[in-house]
Amino acid sequence: MSRLRIVGGTVHDPANGVDGEIRDVCIENGRIVADVPDGTPTLDARGMIVMPGGVDIHSHVASSACNHARRLLVEEHSANPAAAPALEPGTSPPRSGTGGTLPSTFTTGYRYAGLGYTTVFDAAVAPITARHTHAEFDDTPIVDGGFYILLGNDEYLLRQVDAGERDRARDYAAWMIEAAGGYAIKIVNPGGVQAWKSGQRNLTGIDEALGSSRVTPRAILETLADAANTLRLPHPVHIHCNNLGQAGNVATTLATMDALSGRRAHFTHLQFHCYGSGPEGKTGWSSAARQVIERVNADSEISVDVGQVMFGAATTLSADGPAQYLLQASSGRKWTNIDVELETGCGIIPYRYEERAAVSALQWAVGLELFLLSADPWRVVLSTDSPNGGSFEAYPALIQLLMDRTVRDEQLKRVNQRLLAGSALADGLAREYSLNEIAIVTRAGPARLLGLRHKGHLGVGADADVTVYTREADLARMFSLPRYVIKSGVLVVEEGQLRRAPAGRRLRLAPGHDDAVVPDLRRFYDEYGTVSFDNFPVRGLRDAPLEQG
Amino acid sequence: MPGTGQGGASPPSEIGHVTCLGCGCACDDIVLTIAGGRIAAAERACPLGLAWFGDGRVPDRIQVDGKPADLEHALDRASTLLGQARGSILVVLGAELTVSAYQAAFALADALGAVTDSVVSEPAAAGMLAGQRRGRATATLGEIRNRADLIVYWGVDPDRRYPRYRSRYADAPHALHLADGHPRTVVSVSVGADTGPSDADVTLVLTPAQELAALAELRAGLLGRHLGGDALPSGVAELAGRLTQAKYVAIVHDGEPTAERRTPERAEALIGLAQALNTPTRAALSTLRAGGNRNGAEAVSTWQTGFPFAVDFSRGAPRYQPHRRPGTSEGPVPSAVLLVGAPESLPDPLRSSIQGVPTVVIGPRASAAPFPADVTIDTGVAGIHEAGIAYRMDDIPLALQAPLPGLRSADLLVRDLLSRLTPSSRAAR
Repeated sequence: MSRLRIVGGTVHDPANGVDGEIRDVCIENGRIVADVPDGTPTLDARGMIVMPGGVDIHSHVASSACNHARRLLVEEHSANPAAAPALEPGTSPPRSGTGGTLPSTFTTGYRYAGLGYTTVFDAAVAPITARHTHAEFDDTPIVDGGFYILLGNDEYLLRQVDAGERDRARDYAAWMIEAAGGYAIKIVNPGGVQAWKSGQRNLTGIDEALGSSRVTPRAILETLADAANTLRLPHPVHIHCNNLGQAGNVATTLATMDALSGRRAHFTHLQFHCYGSGPEGKTGWSSAARQVIERVNADSEISVDVGQVMFGAATTLSADGPAQYLLQASSGRKWTNIDVELETGCGIIPYRYEERAAVSALQWAVGLELFLLSADPWRVVLSTDSPNGGSFEAYPALIQLLMDRTVRDEQLKRVNQRLLAGSALADGLAREYSLNEIAIVTRAGPARLLGLRHKGHLGVGADADVTVYTREADLARMFSLPRYVIKSGVLVVEEGQLRRAPAGRRLRLAPGHDDAVVPDLRRFYDEYGTVSFDNFPVRGLRDAPLEQG
Repeated sequence: MPGTGQGGASPPSEIGHVTCLGCGCACDDIVLTIAGGRIAAAERACPLGLAWFGDGRVPDRIQVDGKPADLEHALDRASTLLGQARGSILVVLGAELTVSAYQAAFALADALGAVTDSVVSEPAAAGMLAGQRRGRATATLGEIRNRADLIVYWGVDPDRRYPRYRSRYADAPHALHLADGHPRTVVSVSVGADTGPSDADVTLVLTPAQELAALAELRAGLLGRHLGGDALPSGVAELAGRLTQAKYVAIVHDGEPTAERRTPERAEALIGLAQALNTPTRAALSTLRAGGNRNGAEAVSTWQTGFPFAVDFSRGAPRYQPHRRPGTSEGPVPSAVLLVGAPESLPDPLRSSIQGVPTVVIGPRASAAPFPADVTIDTGVAGIHEAGIAYRMDDIPLALQAPLPGLRSADLLVRDLLSRLTPSSRAAR
């Protein structure tokens, strides 16, 4: 029986109303318990900060698209060799790898854990490639992993939308989550990717029809939001709106929120969807963060993650093929496009955000405005849409920007000011996040939004995923180098060094569906698919689906 | 250890939805009839598929220094040879393995600080390097099937080495986005001895010397420009017009060695044309790959190391050495070799460079290696004796069944070797 007592740390456990109280945290067999017997091994956390392990609600870490991107990033990997960590002898064999914006899998697991993150969701998996994602997660140690399945441009789904068959669409979504071993429904540029593949190029308004059909972004959004909610999925539909990255896209973003009014919905990498146009009558860019976050603040059914841009290297990697086409046309960088049969698209472009570039600076400011103007941290989650806005390894620097106005204002002075006039950040935002708020936006909030009852808190029965930080004035450094990280009760980071790398668990669902959908689906696959219908579902996964309820 | 073909009086049984790795098409609709512990029939399989499955029997021997040995002795000897080697250890990966076996093999190579290579051939490597420089515009095979109204076979007739490519994918009936009775246009481009299909709607014949100029002319044609230069057949200009008028263009080329010598410039020009076509219309480049689980080997290599092949672990972290591949004059001289895969797949230059070097072979038909080896352990074949995952030529991961289970698994053997060699092997080096 493995037990541990973390002694005397200053605990931030906002899900249980604990804000900086000095108390012990007790662990037994991978779970938090109320107490442990005398003589249990202890970890001295006096003077240190104790939080639950981090939960990343939106990242790109384990997918076929990630691997196509890795293949493209040969220069970045060559410049970032990552030696194997000095793990405790007798544990799993330590693995070398490469870093950069999309590290190799073992290095990804080590680095997430090294930041105190213990749960990660890949936000965009084409179901036909789900086997690949599971195999990558098998090679991504320590973190518990799950993924969202791409359904917003799925041919069978769109057929049901066109026919008004919303119940069948719901059963299809449920079937597909189970078949893929996924966790939630993802929509990327609803209908727009299908338009890209069919020569229509894109859909730019939520009532624009796909070809001559009755399919519109609005109909797709409503159908899938309702599906997630009636299936009682723990996480609502996860939405990447139309018109990502385009000047003036705020209108689309607000229209999408209005369309789903009254329904639970998560809007992802919101920063990329909060741009206004130029001054009256002119083309150009401006921040529309205030408009959007005020809408979010006022609607308790909406949650978001920010998708902050951090200056430096990034890799844009998205199922949004048309958005990526536009980016390659404007940036002239190398570009991969992959049309994925019956399901989605994929575009990849290595990218770099520069302080001196006006649009980069605007994007950086928009993200910070969303954070700093948000009224409810439980619904505004920290993310960089890693690696799209920057790597997850930039989270500590982002936390510092949120907690330390001096650092933020210094950087604000350095960046290109051309598009910042009139923005809330340029006008001065004094807010500084507290440690408790950081614990909410990096752990407690995302765990709650994901419906992970055993994650993101330190109450009795929670998974024993715990991060212990040494207090430092340099907050970026403090959050980069946790003193201890415990995953499922195993001490993985000890005195700042990665020492153990146990396998993580897979977080997946089997929501249940009406079998009446299956014969029709089988006919469709037999007619138009290239993988036998019976071979489609992923089988033999190690971890059982989570129980819903 | 029982092998396959052990007989028995059980009645014939049918196994459906079996994936064939006879070529990169990876058709997963094969129905096998198993009788007497052998594959008696492979319904829907093409000639390459029939050859891939055979009767399912493979040798089942373990040898040390050419003499029969037990497994424990063979693994012990293999770990000693690899663990004691000083200098470069070479780990070569064949194409007949499951994803899980590749995962284990890279773990072993990492622990040994080895130089790795796969059976990826030179033309395929050139294509991958071009893709790393430029990116790609491609599609999975089902997308081509359901959308492409213009298919250009560029210097390849798939019927020869990818027999079901056209009927299952590119030219399949029942396309979701093509109206019934609205046939696709098929263009055959022959380049020297690399001839296209003979039943195409449009035929263009080029000499190898004209090929790059033709690709450049087609690309210029998209911009409404004409490069002129070397005299090209008039069909080139006509093809340029067809490309932009189509709704969805598939350009199909062979990623494997062909009759004509391939240059890196050719690979880049094909990629560039497919990418550029996505401004006036939509287009995808489809790269034909040979059999086994080649794309699986590259996928695992990429996610574990960041590089698709030619990974050198000797300095403690992956380095990409595509221009210093083993078996070339620039490549390392190995002090020990581990081949995980079928020995006949070892490229000729490598065979000659490992003469006299301690060699371990773990894989299908290892005992029949046509070169000297210190240890050989026969295993089953992915998708015949071993279940798991393999990748189609378009990187779609497919389920593999084990219609004839029971043979030693390369995956488990490599994991066994790994446990014998770690962590002391790393500390010792």
